[in-house]
Amino acid sequence: MLITGIKSRPVYDELTPMATGASHVAAAQGSGGEPLVRLLREMDPDQLSATTVLYSVESFTGKNHLADLQDFAVRELVVFPTNADAVSGLDALLATAKMGTRLYLSGSEGFIGTSMQVATSYGMNRDEVLREHAGSFVRRVWCAHCSHYSENVSRRIFRCPGCARHLIVRDHYSGRLAAFQGVKADGEVPGELPENEELDT
Amino acid sequence: MTAVSNPAGFTPDETYTPDGEYRFRNSREAVRRLPFPFPDDEYMYSMNLEPHVPAGAGALRAAFDVDEHYVSECAHRDQMLQEMPGVHYLALPHMMEAQWDLLELIFESYNRDFPEHFTLTRNGNEWRWQNRLLGIDDSFTFGDPDTLPMDPMEYATRQAQGEFVVLEERDNTLVIGAGMTTQRADYSLQFNLGMNFAEFHGPVPKLDKMGILDRALKFLLRMKPGHPVRRVNWSLTVHPRLETSVETLPDWAPDRAEVTAGNAGDMVYLRIELQPLHRLPRSNAIVFPVRTYLVSLAELVEHAPDWAKRVHRALASLDPELADYKGFHRYHGAAVAWLAQHDDGAPLAAGYPWYPEGIQPG
Repeated sequence: MLITGIKSRPVYDELTPMATGASHVAAAQGSGGEPLVRLLREMDPDQLSATTVLYSVESFTGKNHLADLQDFAVRELVVFPTNADAVSGLDALLATAKMGTRLYLSGSEGFIGTSMQVATSYGMNRDEVLREHAGSFVRRVWCAHCSHYSENVSRRIFRCPGCARHLIVRDHYSGRLAAFQGVKADGEVPGELPENEELDT
Repeated sequence: MTAVSNPAGFTPDETYTPDGEYRFRNSREAVRRLPFPFPDDEYMYSMNLEPHVPAGAGALRAAFDVDEHYVSECAHRDQMLQEMPGVHYLALPHMMEAQWDLLELIFESYNRDFPEHFTLTRNGNEWRWQNRLLGIDDSFTFGDPDTLPMDPMEYATRQAQGEFVVLEERDNTLVIGAGMTTQRADYSLQFNLGMNFAEFHGPVPKLDKMGILDRALKFLLRMKPGHPVRRVNWSLTVHPRLETSVETLPDWAPDRAEVTAGNAGDMVYLRIELQPLHRLPRSNAIVFPVRTYLVSLAELVEHAPDWAKRVHRALASLDPELADYKGFHRYHGAAVAWLAQHDDGAPLAAGYPWYPEGIQPG
């Protein structure tokens, strides 16, 4: 579980079947396959047959749980090569979803956050969605200066691919943008960079 | 919006930007009417909320203060909105009722407190708004956005000093639903929109430990329409620059490295924030205005010497973590050194200046 002193970071849940759901959508990425396997194990056969699984095999740490996911008798299992494709797939699926749909998200913070943007756009409430963080602590970062989004940022200071500035990642998270905030690291004196560090929390 | 050439008592040609060469100064009267935010020699972070009732003859006389910079500040807002569309003004789609609430609050307050400059005439929902300082005379239907050239909140706040953040009440917290923030102090409206009270206060150091946040939120949730409260806050900034958003940090942050003990008097500005919060009647939202005043350390010494001494002492004893959070860590020492020359150590009154026994400008 991801618990830090960052007040604006989402508080994550543990995936467990939501009994009130008439239909279930479970989307995961990379290491997020593991919580998904646990979720599916806890489901009864009726719930499983009413569950669509979306899984992206893109992974920062190289974990792939596709073989385990294939063991379950779900309504449908759709595999995507990238996280962006999986989020698009989720968008297409929710566009036709009926009332009573419950959503389960698992994986990196960036994947959960961008999937949440999709869920929010369809008016899904927080009590219809469970989110479980899995895998590395890499962050999705929004550049405050050029609005470029960088995925899988693992260091406190990195170079923005959008504007080439060195950005420092602030411990401040926006659910609306599904990203942490990156600002010019050497803003006061160009070239005077603070010490870099691993983003391990 | 074309400004009237030169309304009496107003300085309509000031600038708050490097392109405009920071052509800005305060008159002696403007300095001595400031909502000076240091009641004690030692500064302690606190919510320091008090009922927003008229007090004194200065900035706290009106619900929403108008001073000599009004015309220039409205022009600056227009310039910022044009230069960076979608960055300084944002409103979530369901905030329309709160937008009308805010328009009503600002226009009614200005009409009541400054009848020489503003007139609001209401005939049912058919309203006429006259703003003689900006040369505006418009009629519109209250509640019908099609009768205004833009969102009601943008329309009203383009004619108001200070910035405005509208918070909607949801699940026992307050969520940022809209903002007109062309004068932001190092935050991003695009980024913070939709955050709740705990989330948008996340970066403030020590707050949570002190239990201040929870108490403040509980207090605000109990607010009722017609009973506004206020607090003052402050920071330091370099140059009379109103727009210091996160987005433009690469433009303004280098100025911080230019400050020395020799030039701090003219380069460093005390940035005073007067924050009068109102519960809005129809939407139940809360508006959080930040009315920002800029005054250079040299102007304080010249026109309000006791306030300059107080600023010296408050800065000299400031917690370094707060200086870091407020963004003036790099020139904190320079500002203190410059001010030290103007502090004879004489005892100063305690309390805000809008109270008779509080610290007066000197």
